[in-house]
Amino acid sequence: MTDMTVPARATLGTASGLALVALTEVAGAAFLRQFLLVDDWRAVVGLLALFGGALVAMQRLPAIEAGIEQAFGANRRFAVLLGVAIVLAFPFVLQNSSYALHLLIIAQLYAVLALALNFQLGSANIPNFATGASYGIGAYASALLALHWDVSFWLALPASAVVATIFGFLLGIPSMRTRDSYLALVTIAFGVVVHQLLNNLEFTGGPNGLVGIPAPELFGHSFASPLVIFGHSLPPQANFYYLSALLVGVAILFAGRLHHSRIGLAWNALRADELAARCQGINTTWYKVLAFAVDAFLAGFAGTIYAFYVGFISPDNFTFLVSVTIMTMVIAGGMDNTLGVIVGAFLLTLLPEKLRAFSDYRILFFGITVIAFLMIRPQGIFPQRLRRYGG
Amino acid sequence: MDPAIILQGQGLTMRFGGLVAMAEVDFSLRKGEVLGIIGPNGAGKSTLLNIITGLYVPSSGEVRLSGELLNGQPAHRIVAKGIARTFQSSRLFADLSVLDNVIIGRHTHMKTGVFDAIFNRRKADAELDAAAEIAERLLKAVSRELHAQRHRPAGELPQADRRRLEIARALASEPKVLLLDEPSSGMDDADTDALMDDIRSVCAERPDLALMIIEHDMRLIASLPQRVLVLDYGQKLAEGTFEEVRLIPRVQEAYLGRKGAQHAQA
Amino acid sequence: MAEQLLQQILNWITLGSIYALIAVGFSLLFGVLNIIHFSHGDVALIAPFLALALVQTFAAALGAAATPGTMLLAVALAIALTGLLGILLDFLVIQRFRNAPAMMALVATVALGIVLRELIRHLFPNGSNPHAVPRLVQGSIDAFGVTVPLFNLVAIAVSVLCVAGLFVLLGNTRLGLHIKAVSQDRDAARLLSIAPGKIFRITFFIASAVGAVGGLFFAGYAGIVRFDFSIDVGLIGFSAAVVGGLGSMPGAIIGSLVIAGLDTLVQATVPNGAAYRLVFVFLLVIGVLVFRPAGLFGRTVVEKV
Repeated sequence: MTDMTVPARATLGTASGLALVALTEVAGAAFLRQFLLVDDWRAVVGLLALFGGALVAMQRLPAIEAGIEQAFGANRRFAVLLGVAIVLAFPFVLQNSSYALHLLIIAQLYAVLALALNFQLGSANIPNFATGASYGIGAYASALLALHWDVSFWLALPASAVVATIFGFLLGIPSMRTRDSYLALVTIAFGVVVHQLLNNLEFTGGPNGLVGIPAPELFGHSFASPLVIFGHSLPPQANFYYLSALLVGVAILFAGRLHHSRIGLAWNALRADELAARCQGINTTWYKVLAFAVDAFLAGFAGTIYAFYVGFISPDNFTFLVSVTIMTMVIAGGMDNTLGVIVGAFLLTLLPEKLRAFSDYRILFFGITVIAFLMIRPQGIFPQRLRRYGG
Repeated sequence: MDPAIILQGQGLTMRFGGLVAMAEVDFSLRKGEVLGIIGPNGAGKSTLLNIITGLYVPSSGEVRLSGELLNGQPAHRIVAKGIARTFQSSRLFADLSVLDNVIIGRHTHMKTGVFDAIFNRRKADAELDAAAEIAERLLKAVSRELHAQRHRPAGELPQADRRRLEIARALASEPKVLLLDEPSSGMDDADTDALMDDIRSVCAERPDLALMIIEHDMRLIASLPQRVLVLDYGQKLAEGTFEEVRLIPRVQEAYLGRKGAQHAQA
Repeated sequence: MAEQLLQQILNWITLGSIYALIAVGFSLLFGVLNIIHFSHGDVALIAPFLALALVQTFAAALGAAATPGTMLLAVALAIALTGLLGILLDFLVIQRFRNAPAMMALVATVALGIVLRELIRHLFPNGSNPHAVPRLVQGSIDAFGVTVPLFNLVAIAVSVLCVAGLFVLLGNTRLGLHIKAVSQDRDAARLLSIAPGKIFRITFFIASAVGAVGGLFFAGYAGIVRFDFSIDVGLIGFSAAVVGGLGSMPGAIIGSLVIAGLDTLVQATVPNGAAYRLVFVFLLVIGVLVFRPAGLFGRTVVEKV
């Protein structure tokens, strides 16, 4: 285990610190780009091996990881600005591949879902197998609003998030008295109930779902048409890419703010020892319910974007398996670690797509991945880090 | 009611199905006083603590803090009213840092909710930084070495430090009453002496703080508390100074058995 | 009208008996090993596939169609093999989570269930499609104006026998005593030279084998089996055990009867009930857990403070 004493004030000069940050971010972006664009599965495996090698190197030589962390910590503003710039510019380096953009959108939506679940699972250790259901409720609520009452996407977005949050609160009620595995079963039960209702009720379209969800419009520009920036024309997917990237940004913000606050501490305390947490004055019931509500809120947002992006939804998009997938991303990526969770989401979304030769084995692959991670590295690729304080 | 009495229990009874864990126990605790609770294992000492802190709801009887009725209120509310405790098995938040553990102790003095945390960053950060500062000061006051390790995960600490951390965490909520559950458990003589010094300095810095200590270590009981309460089979056997209480035959019997007590008196 | 009612009651008890065979395994594993073995349902439903595969192998080896004798042999073998499979899974995966937080073990066994289902789908020829499952016991008798399939009677009888056998084992034998000792206090049992490892293996075998019986009857009752049936069956069996109170054998049986009762009631009365049955069952589960968080007969574990 790496030494957890306070790191000394940045020994790296500002210039080399900036360079390290820039190098890390650009390298990451380049890696992602290659991963998205390659076709040959051997290249994919090669890239994966590279990634794995980098992780192993960081574990063997903790000085590297510490150095990178230090550089990012000392140059926070630059790192964020550069990161935003890279995200904004990314679609331009993708050779106009709408498929690559599509993958990014899905990966980003799952990143939001994983971040949402992370509040519960990573921070508070509350099992929730119903995130998929919250996702679905957000999607269906917004789709129904648009199809039956002509509500615009921009109004449907917050409205369906609210609906999903209400569901989250409902889900939280049993959590007041049940715990651990019993609570897990309650969330599974909720998920199944929601799925069955969506599948059987007429006004949700039954097993065929809802189709014909109109594309959003912003200042007269339809999201279904290509995006033209500085004379360069990007495929229509780029619209949703930026939208989902924005949502990821919002989710990261939420995650960071909540983690580094009284609430995040209360969640962590709850996770470590619920009884002791109560004896510090923490209203554990409230914080458990809050975790459910926050998870559902973000999941609902993601659901709306999904519905309007794909244009049609059906109950089978929101099954128990989806919830398990999201859980896998959190566990494999790193519980209670924002970066880890996002990497987990991207990895587990992109990998099965890229290994299409093995796609029929995708579900098997998931199951084995989860078990492997739980056995070998239960804290995930990027385990949680301790907090820092001070001005 | 005597204004100097800060915590009072009357007729406390606790039944678990057919088992009577506590029967009609009275006690009173004054501001600034140190009360020792002793008794053989299973006497109901921890039960008393659990009733006071709201983890158990007594089958009958009352607990009052400065006259206000406590029993029946949820545990987290009782903490906010000014009662803090430590646990026999040192329930720390093991995977959080030492500093975080103490900051969590400040929970009842912080107000940030979800909206503030997300939208009012400056206020939330200021509150958290202030709490961190207070936490650091507390740690430094308890032990310089502990303060030096404040960024380590609490689970890595040795036993004596864990106890100190627990006490610091309990003090962080600025309690009026501090309950210590067998603080010297698992410690050797040297550690216990250090612990006694720590408790003494805590009392010296906070003259109004009332302390209730459950203990088995008679050296600690002999020197720290002004008064001692003896429990056995959930009943109060005796109350008084340690010198008075240890001579009472029933008390000796409770600890040593009848034959042993006869021996002791011989 | 009375015949309708009797018919439904028969369905109810048959279904309840079958669920009980699976629920009992969940409860046993939780009581002894303190784990929620979420993939127990999937293990139980491997048995019909094993039986089908064995029947085909025997038929091919003998060069003739399967006889009731070979079918019975295949069934017996399938049960035994499933029991062994339970032990194997414990050895490979589950035992590594013996001392891990409950959540981790739960997620691991959920994933394990997924792996098992996918393995069936890939390894069994035509795995994605449903397969017909012949009933070992054909024919029916007429009683009180109701057609009673002999299969149902056999299912109920076997279920009762198995459960009774379990009760006898746990209550009246030395092995049962050892199992109870290990479930209460592993280390104390070790001090009394009861090897917990051996007890765990035996428990896995019993739970999986009894579950296999339930899986076989379920497949026979439904007439077909598919790799993903175990999701529903497993969830229902688990719910029955939880509703009754994990760790309580009588609870598992009562939970099974309650859930089977609701299942049958919904299918008989609610229009299009078959599609909604899970909704009602799970709403019941949620309801029970809200009011009795440890199940109807579960022990609320009092934490020592």
